[in-house]
Amino acid sequence: MMESNRGHLLPIYVLADESGSMTEHIDDLNDGLRSLHQALLGEPMAAAKVRFSVLGFSDDVVERVHLVDLRSANEFPLLRTRGMTSYLAAFEDLINRIPGDVNALKSEGYQVHRPAVFFLSDGLPNHGEDWQDAHRRLTDRSVTLGAPNIIACGIVDADAQTIDQVATEPQFGFVANKGVDVGGAIAKFCTALTKSVISSGRSLGSASPQLVVDKPEGFTVAIDVI
Amino acid sequence: MDGAVPEFDPRPPIGALSYRPDTVCDGWSTEALDLRLASVRGYAHRAEGRPREDDAAAAWDEHTRTVVFAVADGVSDARQPHIGSQLACRSAVDEMLGQVRASGGFVTDWPKLLSTVHWQLRVQARRLLHQEDATVDETADLLATTLVAGAATPTPAGVRVALVSVGDSGVWLIKNGALYPLQGGKTVGADGLVSSAVRPLPYVPAEVVPFEYVLEPPCVLLIGTDGFGDPVGDGRGVVAQLLCRELERPVPPLGFAHLLDFYRETFDDDRTLVALWPRGGAAGGPR
Repeated sequence: MMESNRGHLLPIYVLADESGSMTEHIDDLNDGLRSLHQALLGEPMAAAKVRFSVLGFSDDVVERVHLVDLRSANEFPLLRTRGMTSYLAAFEDLINRIPGDVNALKSEGYQVHRPAVFFLSDGLPNHGEDWQDAHRRLTDRSVTLGAPNIIACGIVDADAQTIDQVATEPQFGFVANKGVDVGGAIAKFCTALTKSVISSGRSLGSASPQLVVDKPEGFTVAIDVI
Repeated sequence: MDGAVPEFDPRPPIGALSYRPDTVCDGWSTEALDLRLASVRGYAHRAEGRPREDDAAAAWDEHTRTVVFAVADGVSDARQPHIGSQLACRSAVDEMLGQVRASGGFVTDWPKLLSTVHWQLRVQARRLLHQEDATVDETADLLATTLVAGAATPTPAGVRVALVSVGDSGVWLIKNGALYPLQGGKTVGADGLVSSAVRPLPYVPAEVVPFEYVLEPPCVLLIGTDGFGDPVGDGRGVVAQLLCRELERPVPPLGFAHLLDFYRETFDDDRTLVALWPRGGAAGGPR
């Protein structure tokens, strides 16, 4: 009989914009992922509770890492710029991907926390795509198993309004301040997020308890700059 | 148990206002019960230099031979959760002893018990904030805590246990070599996902319905925080099997604390447990 409580895991997805407009910043993002990896290696007990996927999106989605235990990962593959910026493709991918991942972890005997998506983009999606409907289906907890919390981080000259629309809570949308080390800030934020999700917090009578996260250093809440 | 313990040196608690030991344990017996109690700092808190946020307390009334007990888990996102849990346990035990002595052996007013703990937290928050008053939200920001509080009263029909629970701390029973969840613990959402969010004190539930159970040998009643409840799960895993085996009979208090201090990967929260073994023979009733 498979034991039903081998541990509690938080699936985290980094969904990074690989479109051409990111060319000048893709090295920073790759540095950031390395920082994140190193930061979590320094926190082995937090790292044990996370399974990490890195997805690059442009016209489609390329899976760079799938539900990896960072303690056993040697190095992250690199993100590479290519093509256009299809938010629709990105969110459709998650609609298909996340329920399968949640069920796979549960079938291994793990209890699963609500997944978290770190969405990194300059906030300039393709014109004319109805990505909003896919985003709505992805985040509707009655439609998508494991509908994630999305933390949207705007980089470069990000469009704050778009970033705010992608974030699932107003306080989950951020735009990087000029000159900030985006990768390092995301690494710190990610470890704080993991601790926040795993440790106990207050649910104020809501049927859907909220994730509470603090603003990462070097970021401004997106709604503040619209 | 499984997964190697990460190598680290336990760090002293940072920011605690006063001395806060890593582990506390206790154990004693009455004519009707053997009691063991332990509260152990979790591996993550040891590594991060955070104080133990759980607490427990127990006492007895020698006239009615009633044992009262409390277990609390300070909510991590509060600023001083260790003070909240300690205050909740101590004030709950004091209030229960008062009610037990006044009624001849039973806790008679559960809403008053929770109200007392609520106001103890509010008053403490006022002191800590140096304010004339502290709102419920301000108190929760500072001192939010779960609580299980109850009394075990010897009666001719066995030891009658009654308790209330606020938050995700819970109650379990070992019977016939198996461990069963009885009350509380974490609930999994309709979609099968788990959440660490709780509805803690100082928020008092609108309805307070005590859980009651008659405890007869050779059962063991366990009252614990989620640091114990999560790895125990549905009672069918290796942690539950270990506890069933080791807690068949009362163990020495230090051994009880040691048993609770197991490592299992991802389960690194503080753990607190009170165990009650009813003794065989006629238990008698309140005098």
